Amino acid sequence: MNLRIPILKLKDCLIVSIQWELDDQTALQFQEDLLTKMHETSARGVVIDLTPIDFIDSFIAKVLGDVISMSGLMGAQVVITGIQPAVAITLIELGIRLENVMTALDLENGLEKLQRELED
Amino acid sequence: MNYRSSVEILTEWDIVAARQLGRNEAKEVGFGTVDQARITTAISELARNIYLYAGKGKIEIERILEGGSFGIIIIASDEGPGIPDVRKVMEDGFSTSGGLGAGMPGVKRLMDDFKIETVIGEGTVIKATKWIR
Amino acid sequence: MIKKVATFIQDNLDEILIRWQELMKEDTEERFFQVMSQNVIDNTSREFAELMISHLLEGENSYESRLNEFTSKVVRFGWSISFVVKAITNFAKIVFQMLEEKEIITDQNMKEYVDIFTSWVTPMQNGIVETYAQKWERTVQLQKIALQELSASLIPVFDKISVMPLVGTIDTERAKQIMENLLEGVVKHRAEVVLLDITGVPVVDTMVAHHIIQAADAVRLVGAKCMLVGIRPEIAQTIVTLGINLQDFTTTSTLQRGVEQALAWTNRKIVEVEEN
Repeated sequence: MNLRIPILKLKDCLIVSIQWELDDQTALQFQEDLLTKMHETSARGVVIDLTPIDFIDSFIAKVLGDVISMSGLMGAQVVITGIQPAVAITLIELGIRLENVMTALDLENGLEKLQRELED
Repeated sequence: MNYRSSVEILTEWDIVAARQLGRNEAKEVGFGTVDQARITTAISELARNIYLYAGKGKIEIERILEGGSFGIIIIASDEGPGIPDVRKVMEDGFSTSGGLGAGMPGVKRLMDDFKIETVIGEGTVIKATKWIR
Repeated sequence: MIKKVATFIQDNLDEILIRWQELMKEDTEERFFQVMSQNVIDNTSREFAELMISHLLEGENSYESRLNEFTSKVVRFGWSISFVVKAITNFAKIVFQMLEEKEIITDQNMKEYVDIFTSWVTPMQNGIVETYAQKWERTVQLQKIALQELSASLIPVFDKISVMPLVGTIDTERAKQIMENLLEGVVKHRAEVVLLDITGVPVVDTMVAHHIIQAADAVRLVGAKCMLVGIRPEIAQTIVTLGINLQDFTTTSTLQRGVEQALAWTNRKIVEVEEN
């Protein structure tokens, strides 16, 4: 049951679409896989799309936050896209603000934002 | 009209099972998507606390009807060490697990009603209620 | 015996009503008997008496439809529930007194008459209370729906730019509703910038500010930017006085300037076109 989340490469960016509910192991595995792939490809940007995800608890939020900080250390900018309204509301009510995170409405928007950011 | 279902929390996988149960219950009782997310998230937090601090316990979900409105109670019980300082646990930013510390106060904000009963050395029971608006 | 009471009421209705009205006028809180014309008072009293008699004589069936009619009338007059209950009690009291005066009720048959009166008046009062409660519940329900409809919708003004005007007092319940509407709207209209217009919010205290900050945070998470516009001078004063930190926020005084800023954020601006 331990499915791995596929990580795609597009030019100098990595694209991740999380399609199913994350359990703790998958989340941690994903963190490791993404960092390894980033190192291999020396990607400068990552888009993580969460459109199908209908809830995020503090653990997954922490993993995501960590991924973003770690990516920053490795010189890559992360954009999170497609956070659902219900997810955003529960995160805020939990007290998780995910500050300093770049966000966008959807994958397309996220890629655009990332391109702009990387050009500057 | 009381209907109760439960999940034993022994492994990390049971956290997933508990929140899936919660999501289905919330959907069947008639909660909207935002409240479904609130309930699922609250269950996930409570189940993880059991897994991390007590080792084992269970999550029960009960449908309730009071004064013409439907609701759900999440009962998280364990026979763990108990919580020495409940007030401290309810402070924002307090965590002993190195998580984000959203834990208990976060769950309280997600739900409409929140109660902790804890006895040192015997365990903890947390009841969190959500009503359909 | 029941029949006897009913006939007695019908035969002595005029006297009963005069005494009843006198008793009711003593209640100075309900101004119906002070303000309305004698004509209206008489008609309403008579209607009231008929309802009392009909319940005494006929079964529940015809009584129920009459009760509904009567209560809706009374509700229109704005009679308070305690006043209606008092009206029933007083009416029964007077009839009982008069029956005693005319020596129809004697010490011997007192108990039976008391029973008749009890089974006459009590269900009636219950019925009235129940009907009132239902009416109130309905009103509350309707007002709740009306309030929800009122509670803010997101209006797309330009491509990628939407405005949400907030009107009225914001409590926790409404704040949650607003947040949901705001986020669903942002996703639906694919807005990159939303302007929260608080011109119509009378008071911004710490709690309201907290809700607004949360809403803005949530908007950021779904991938858009939130701007607070319509900050009146007195609102700016309270915000600073209360020590509320809106530093992380873009705020402007008017919606117009907010829209200009939003256009700038989305790399656009409004230009005047020269006439040909």
